[in-house]
Amino acid sequence: MNYQNPTVQEAADVLRARFDTLEHKADILKAVELKALYTQIPHMPAEERSGFGKEVNQLRDELQQLIDTSTSQADALPPIDVTAPFDINAPVAMRPRLLSSEAGNVHPLMSELAQVLDIFYRMGFNAVESREIDDDYHMFGALNFPEGHPARDDYDTFMTVEADKNGKPLIAPAHTSTMQNRVLRQYAANLKKGEPIAVLLPGRVFRNEDLDARHEHTFYQFEGVYVDKGIHAGNLLATFKRFLSEYYQQDIEIKSQPFYFPFTEPSFELALSCPFCKKQGCHICSGTGWIELLGMGMIHPNVLREGGIDPEIYTGFAWGCGLERLVMMKYGIEDIRHFESGKLDFLRQFV
Amino acid sequence: MKIGLNEIRFTNQRNQSAGDPAPEGVDTLIENIGAQLGAIEEVIDVGSKYQGILVIRVVSCVDHPNADRLHLCTVDDGGKAAGVERDDKGYVQVVCGAPNVHEGMLAVWLPPGSVVPSTVGKDPFVLEARKLRGVVSNGMLASPKELAIGDSHEGILEVDKDVAPGTSFAKAYGLDGEVIIDIENKMFTHRPDCFGSLGVARELEGIQHRAYKSPSWYTLSPEFPKTEAEPLSLQIRNELPELVPRFTAITMRDVEVKESPVWLQIFLSQMGMRPINNIVDYTNYFMLVTGQPLHAYDYDKVRAQDTNADHATIVIRNPKQDEKLLLLNGKEVVPRSEAIMIATRDKLIGIGGVMGGGDTEVDENTKNIIIECATFDMYSIRRTSMTHGLFTDAVTRFNKGQSPLQNLAVLAAIVDEIRTFAGGKVASTLIDDNHLPAAVLERGSIHEPVTISAKFINARLGLSLSADEVAQLLENVEFIVQRQGDELTITAPFWRTDIEIKEDIVEEVGRLYGYDKLPLELPRRTIAPATKNATLELKQSVRTYLAKAGANEVLTYSFVHGDLLRKVGQNPDEAFQVGNALSPDLQYYRLSIIPSLLDKVHMNIKAGYDTFALFELGKAHHKTLLSTSKDVNDGDLPIELERLSFVFAANSKAAKAYSGAAYYEARKYLTGLLAELGMADSVTFEPLQRDQYVGGTQAMIPYYTPGRSAAVLFGDTVLGEIGEFTTAVHKNLKLPEFCAGFELDVGLLALHEGASRPYAAVSRFPKVTQDITFRVPADLAYQKLYSFVTGELDKMDLKRARFTVFPLDIYQRQDDHAHKQVTLRLEIASYERTLTDTEVSELLHAVANSAQDKLKAVRV
Repeated sequence: MNYQNPTVQEAADVLRARFDTLEHKADILKAVELKALYTQIPHMPAEERSGFGKEVNQLRDELQQLIDTSTSQADALPPIDVTAPFDINAPVAMRPRLLSSEAGNVHPLMSELAQVLDIFYRMGFNAVESREIDDDYHMFGALNFPEGHPARDDYDTFMTVEADKNGKPLIAPAHTSTMQNRVLRQYAANLKKGEPIAVLLPGRVFRNEDLDARHEHTFYQFEGVYVDKGIHAGNLLATFKRFLSEYYQQDIEIKSQPFYFPFTEPSFELALSCPFCKKQGCHICSGTGWIELLGMGMIHPNVLREGGIDPEIYTGFAWGCGLERLVMMKYGIEDIRHFESGKLDFLRQFV
Repeated sequence: MKIGLNEIRFTNQRNQSAGDPAPEGVDTLIENIGAQLGAIEEVIDVGSKYQGILVIRVVSCVDHPNADRLHLCTVDDGGKAAGVERDDKGYVQVVCGAPNVHEGMLAVWLPPGSVVPSTVGKDPFVLEARKLRGVVSNGMLASPKELAIGDSHEGILEVDKDVAPGTSFAKAYGLDGEVIIDIENKMFTHRPDCFGSLGVARELEGIQHRAYKSPSWYTLSPEFPKTEAEPLSLQIRNELPELVPRFTAITMRDVEVKESPVWLQIFLSQMGMRPINNIVDYTNYFMLVTGQPLHAYDYDKVRAQDTNADHATIVIRNPKQDEKLLLLNGKEVVPRSEAIMIATRDKLIGIGGVMGGGDTEVDENTKNIIIECATFDMYSIRRTSMTHGLFTDAVTRFNKGQSPLQNLAVLAAIVDEIRTFAGGKVASTLIDDNHLPAAVLERGSIHEPVTISAKFINARLGLSLSADEVAQLLENVEFIVQRQGDELTITAPFWRTDIEIKEDIVEEVGRLYGYDKLPLELPRRTIAPATKNATLELKQSVRTYLAKAGANEVLTYSFVHGDLLRKVGQNPDEAFQVGNALSPDLQYYRLSIIPSLLDKVHMNIKAGYDTFALFELGKAHHKTLLSTSKDVNDGDLPIELERLSFVFAANSKAAKAYSGAAYYEARKYLTGLLAELGMADSVTFEPLQRDQYVGGTQAMIPYYTPGRSAAVLFGDTVLGEIGEFTTAVHKNLKLPEFCAGFELDVGLLALHEGASRPYAAVSRFPKVTQDITFRVPADLAYQKLYSFVTGELDKMDLKRARFTVFPLDIYQRQDDHAHKQVTLRLEIASYERTLTDTEVSELLHAVANSAQDKLKAVRV
């Protein structure tokens, strides 16, 4: 690596050369040249100080890395025959073997997603997984969020330092709707064949929030997109009601509330009758008999148009449903942070 | 957005706008709001706070015999309170410390047994009759703070309504049964009109299929009184007409600044605002009613900002470099360079639409004022608010884009209010700096009329409404609808900024009609099957296999701390960096998944798990790996490297159950998985070279130990890598000695899945089993010997037979490290006859001869 500051660069060249000659590699960190750089920092002009200090630290890190690499080479175990199925002289009983299947499990979110996916496959949906890094266009532009629109405030999006081709930061999608434009284009041929566009879009989404038992910055959604001739808002409500009834294996009632999303019109928030107490009121539904679950709506004509579909001819609906809620309610999981904790104490309960 | 139900009830009645908004009771109304207007955050029962609290007259007020600051009062409650001690005239004795208590005043009395309203729902304080400095006080006289209608605690509330002593306080001020309903703001993102109680009151009628008529002061062209006092000249210079399309103002002379009437203080408090003085309170009141923020300036202070000025000047401009402003909240800001500033000729006096300046505020000494009613660009307001962290009630409203067509009505209304109740006299003509398109002003509606058919609406809602029914629903909320058969031409009222396209009308009609009445019909479609997503299916197979094999699927965050990357030797500079994460643990996108799994090893060992296998299906990214796809959607976006990552770990005790390197344990899982996917026969392992890696760059996998790691090859394609980890990684992540893992490209697995599922017909003849042991140079790769043996057998033209070769043992003598002995077992059966041992021995003999020639493998 190269250093901007000539003094640092000069010291780096000297120290790198000396490193190879040292018997005790760690001694390089005690070199007078390095110490001299550190003593200079307080005497630098204020505006140069931080840049200089940063480079000196970088140099120190570089040297540390050299030490680590050389010691790890020295400590390294002897090479083995990586093409063999087991090691030399391994007795049969001590050869590689699989753990008991009683120890293994699929992550509860993923097994739940598989169930959801299965229902939608049966209902005739394709599936496309959503991206984990995307651009401003797919997060906002393609979804009818004008530049600077206050609705953008509702999504605390993670953004990268790096920019996309339009000079805007890349975005960790805050909803699976970032995929809508893609699937409208990808499946446009369906409409010409007289078949609907019906796609489920599962994926990871991100909101830049502080964590607590009910809030995660990383979670899963499954988005649904359905477009055809003559699709109306009643179709949307019926489709999701049917999914819920299939998912919970009982007749579920739904209740819609008007809502606002820039990318759907009309927009709804949907609540379902509590499947755990049959609307009698329990701790899961906070005694109300209803559980607010997700947002949905008729795809905004601007979104269809942006996806190359004529909104005068075709209409469609979309929803975005969180996965964690479903799983937490099902098992009574008390803390959403368990999902991404990697704790076997949590995971092995789902064996 | 909060509304008070009584408040709406009263104003509906006063303006003859509509009847009772809740004729079927509050519960039904709340249900309707939920179903047709928006989610309700909270319903606050205000009325019950004031149970038993009475307006009384202070009949006498004398100094307390034993205390300097206390007064001894007798109060007349009309004999209403029960169970209190009364004198012979029926009056009640109360001790009061307020400086403003005086004989003859009407005040509010909290009798014994009542609860101090400000403590209701928190830590209720119940009053009693008790001695204060030797004299009994029956309850107390209440301050605005105790009544939960303001901050003031310096004195008791003086009732300013002419009511009989003994009247309930709640009844006197319309709080009897008052319910505050707080509707989620988010629903109103596109509805600036619903940030005023007028707008919500109109909706309440609309959703219940009743007509609403706005008050005439709001809808009729307002008239302003002629200048009625010595003029106070105000010059306006708008340098930002694009961002401030309308700026209206007027000056008033000789206003009497004082405390607001009690009803207004109560109203503001209920809505969550602090009463300041009557002028400021009126501006807030009209904002709460119409959604249009207003601002009042002290005219003389504005003028005094400019040297030698004989009149006040307001300039609307951007700030100059380093220009500062002291805000009303006492903070000084250097406004962002594109902020809309309100200034005089010389100085800044406010951030337009966000917050006024401290130097020109209206206070108790103010005599002359400027009232501003302006329209500011919502996007600019939002950015300024975000930049400076100023979230005011005005910002909440302006950043939804208030209609510029209501300014005059609102300004006229407040002028009228101030003239009537604060003695102000109009001292200028109306100033209306107006840059709106002529067409907008002419039609009195923000957008052009929308022409739509009932058919279009019904098709999108699944309804069968007639054109008349559609028209009625819209006319209820004051749309103007012209009908021509099935076609409707709809002009939105001037306060509606959100009605622009046909779908806006569809939404409006659906909501007003009631979404709960939509027909629940499933879409009809062909029976063409949906195609399953191959990658998702493959992932599911991987999960199922690995879970069955005792491994645990883990999900870890997509972002990691830079330290983790450094600990495994990756260079954070190669990773996409998250610039705004609240937590430092989320600095970078991952370059590979395995470090996240390694990060979970130590903690699980500490948690008491001796042996375990973790896996994750995740996505990795690298700064330089961008899609070259021509697809408009994905060109130039980062490539998403879909990865299957696996780690096996055992603590030192559990590792004793395994002989040899941990590498082979990971390999066991990998070959098992590949067999499950029908790929095992085509996969080989080669010692990991620095230029072998899947996707990405080699710097992405610096953590494998040379000599104990391998590239996983499918033919010539690298599927991924497998291996043990460097001592530095072990040290940095506290890994147990027995630990190895692999990472594969999921896309390549999906591509090659099922490539080889070898099947051979079952033979009727018995199979012959024979073993063969070779002594080979220690450095001969097992794979080479194995391939050689099977290759030789293949060459022998055994088409009419079926054979398998598998390893039995790999052995090294203690005294000969230059060699190792590999024992293979051959199982062979012919399809045509029973093979003899001799025949098979000859076969192996031939193989052995050849092996000796080619590989220096000696049969032993």
